[in-house]
This record gives sequence, structure tokens and C-alpha cells, in this order.
Amino acid sequence: MGLFDRFRRLFGSQAEADATRDADPDDLFQLTAASVTMTVDLDYEPGDTAGLVFSAMDSTDFQGALRDVEAVLEGSGWSSVHEDDHGYTWAVATRDGFEELVADIYVAADTLADRGYGDRLLAAVFHFEPQSSGQDVYWIYSFRRGSFYPFAPSGPSARDDAREVKLQSVMDEELDVEEDTQYWYPLWPDRRGSHPWE
Amino acid sequence: MEWKSDWGLRLRMGVTMFLLFALYIVFAGVITAYLGGGATMMLLFFGGFSLVQWFFSDKLTLWSMGATEVTQEEYPQLHATISRLSQQADLPKPKVAVVDSQVPNAFATGRSKNHAAVAVTTGIMQTLDEEELEGVLAHELSHIKNRDMAVMTIASFLSTMAFIVVRWGWLFAGGRNRQGGGAPVFVAIAVSIVVWIISFLLIRALSRYREYAADRGAAMISGKPSKLASALLKIDTRIDRVPKEDLRDEAEMNAFFIIPIKAGIVGKLFSTHPSTENRVERLRELERELETA
Repeated sequence: MGLFDRFRRLFGSQAEADATRDADPDDLFQLTAASVTMTVDLDYEPGDTAGLVFSAMDSTDFQGALRDVEAVLEGSGWSSVHEDDHGYTWAVATRDGFEELVADIYVAADTLADRGYGDRLLAAVFHFEPQSSGQDVYWIYSFRRGSFYPFAPSGPSARDDAREVKLQSVMDEELDVEEDTQYWYPLWPDRRGSHPWE
Repeated sequence: MEWKSDWGLRLRMGVTMFLLFALYIVFAGVITAYLGGGATMMLLFFGGFSLVQWFFSDKLTLWSMGATEVTQEEYPQLHATISRLSQQADLPKPKVAVVDSQVPNAFATGRSKNHAAVAVTTGIMQTLDEEELEGVLAHELSHIKNRDMAVMTIASFLSTMAFIVVRWGWLFAGGRNRQGGGAPVFVAIAVSIVVWIISFLLIRALSRYREYAADRGAAMISGKPSKLASALLKIDTRIDRVPKEDLRDEAEMNAFFIIPIKAGIVGKLFSTHPSTENRVERLRELERELETA
């Protein structure tokens, strides 16, 4: 912790500072190479749909920024921008190739950042399907932390910790994995009982 | 998005903290001069008490408020909202607790971000809509982020110590005086009373500034300043007085003031929260900033 952080905490402006820190979407491209390792070493195929998650702001300008995001995602495949029951706003895209998918999610994130809302980006979610049987697993990029973390749900509100740790240890070389598991925020399906990309 | 910093608030907070610190130094000097060895015993005794409070503050507060921790399955919506706001605030998700009470209220507790809990009453969940509750939860998360529990506990250490000197001093002076002459003890008591009153007022002021800071944080975390404003207005019509987190402080107050003072300048000086009117006004300013950015 830096001196400046201590100062901010003392003056009660740490919450402000951290809530409005900007994001750097460039790290997303680490996933392209990582997806190969996921397939070769762990038998997980990258899915063709991914989602960008952000927390909306109550302002006219932000609504305009959302329309910009919609505009850049449209065209090359299916996409949608909507809010789920938990209050997360999603920009979801389906593309033919994983590289293209990563690139388009990056562009969507960058569009929001360009409009001055980089600090509202929470996460980018990419899912991987097992080649045999089993549950899907997810690699989630946290814009707030600037790192990736695994998410392996084993039900509507339970996670498979062992699998997550395994994913972390295998992929640690290729991805900046979040060290502190307290920051591995789960993203549960909402009331409709499905993930936003289904 | 870029928000303007509130330097006025920081300045007032800085001055308040400086005054508290200066007061503490003077007090420690006077007490050591007049009470010598006795003060050390007292410090040890009270230091132990503080440590216990420090390490168990989250559990103590939850227990004293009758809050029970709830799971993801019981309150999925509440958990999801807190999880989302924690992400925005860059905090680990705190424990989530619910109090079965009709009084609309919420509080945060815990000495650090890794030992934090957020609690809401069933009343507040019924009173507020989802977005208003989000504003309130973001306000509580700001308290955690800014470590307000720790700041206020350390700040009130002084007033509690002064209070103990007063009580202990009376006992001491009332018994057989082994220090040869009761004058030093009475000086210590007089000084302690003065220190206690001043520190009490300073802590109240500091607490109010922290509330403003938490409101700002909440506006930025939730991105919905006007929702927090309407939540405050709603709660204000249903609640006369927000219970304070530091119960020890509350107990001290009751020990000294039989008639609670709520109105006028004295009421202002003694309140731990700024008036809802002022808070709403500031949130409206942030709302304007949001719309005109």
C-alpha cells in the first residue's frame, strides 16, 4: 500500500478513488494464446459467445455510450446489450472464431473507455466447454483488478473450488491470474435461471 | 468518468483530525504528570479492552444489533447486488447479514476490508426499491473502503480514556488517597472532563465528515446519486434517529446526558450524521455533475 493510499483512506476518499480508477482492456489478448493451452492441456474448447459486464450509470450520456457499444458490436454476428436481474449490464457477442470474439469484446470495452466510462467496466467473461462430459468453466477478466480469475460453477450457487485452483495453476504462466481468491467474484445466473448469453 | 474532488471536505476533516491528535498529546502529558503510575495501569486495562473490541468488532456489532449472516441461497438478490458493488469499489465481497426489524436501517462493520460485514434490516428492504437500496449498500461499502470503523474507533479511544479517568478518578478520590493530597487527582478529573467534552464534539464532527465522504463514494460506486438521495429521504420520514455503530459511545452519552439534546446548535454539534437535507443537497450536486459532464 502506497503512502498516497494511506492518505486517501485517512481522508475518506479511498472509496471515490478506487470506484473511479480506469481500466486497461489490452490484457484481454492474453486469452488468445491461453485458449490453445486450455484445449491442448486441459481439454476445454473455447465457446463462441462472450460477455462484457459493466455497472451502468444513471445518466443520459452513459445511455449514449451504450448505444455506441451496441453499434460497434452489431454487424459481424449476434450481439445484445441488456441488464440482468442482478443489475449487471451485459454486452454479449457471438462470433465464429475465438480470436475475433476476443477482439470484438476488446473493441466494445475500448469504446466505453473512450467515452470516459472505463471505470464502469467490471469484467469480461469467456466460457470454455469440456470436450468430454462435465460443467462449463469460465475465465473472467476483472477490469478493476487488471487480472484474470477462473470461475467453475457446479450448480446455481455452488462453485467447484478444486477445479478453479487447477485452472489457476495450469494457466498461471499465460494469464495474469488474480492471486487473492477473495477477488474471484462469482457471476451467478439471474432469476430467469440462465446466463445472460443463453 | 471524471469527478471533481471535494477539497473543502478534506480540509475540514484534516483540521478535525489534527485537533484530535493535538488534544490527545496534551491530555497524555497532563495525565502522566498528575497520575504517574496509576495512569499506566489504567492504560493497560483499557488497552486490553480496546484490543478485544478491535478484533471482535464485526462480530460484536452484528451480535449486538441482532444481525444474522445470510447465505447466497437465502438472499440471492442482496448477495448479487453487494457482489457487484464490491467489484466496482474494488473490495472483496463482505459478509452479508440481515436484521429482523421494521426500522429501515443498514450498517457496515469490521476493522478492515478482509473482516467486513454489511447488514440491512428487513424494514429497509421493504421500504426501498432495488436502486435505492443499491445506493445505501454502496454507502456502507464506502465506509468499509475508507476504513471508517478503524478511524472512528481510534478517534474515540481518547474520549473513552478521558471518561475512564473521570470515573476512576472519582473512585480514587472517594477512597483513601495514597498520593498525599487529593489536588492532583482533582486536576486530572477537571482536565479529563474538558478533554472528554472537546474530543466528543470533535469526534462528532469527524463522523459527520466521514458520512459526507461515504455519500460521495456511494454516488461513484453505484453511479446513481439521486437514488441514494431518494433513499435517504424515504428513510428519514420513517426514522427519527439512526442508531450509531459505536455502542460504547452511545452508552457514555447516556451516562452523562439524561435529556437527549436534538435541536438547535447543541443538537447540531452532537449529531453523528449530517442532516438529511444537507446530504441530499450534496448528492443533487453530484447528480448535476453526472448529467453535465
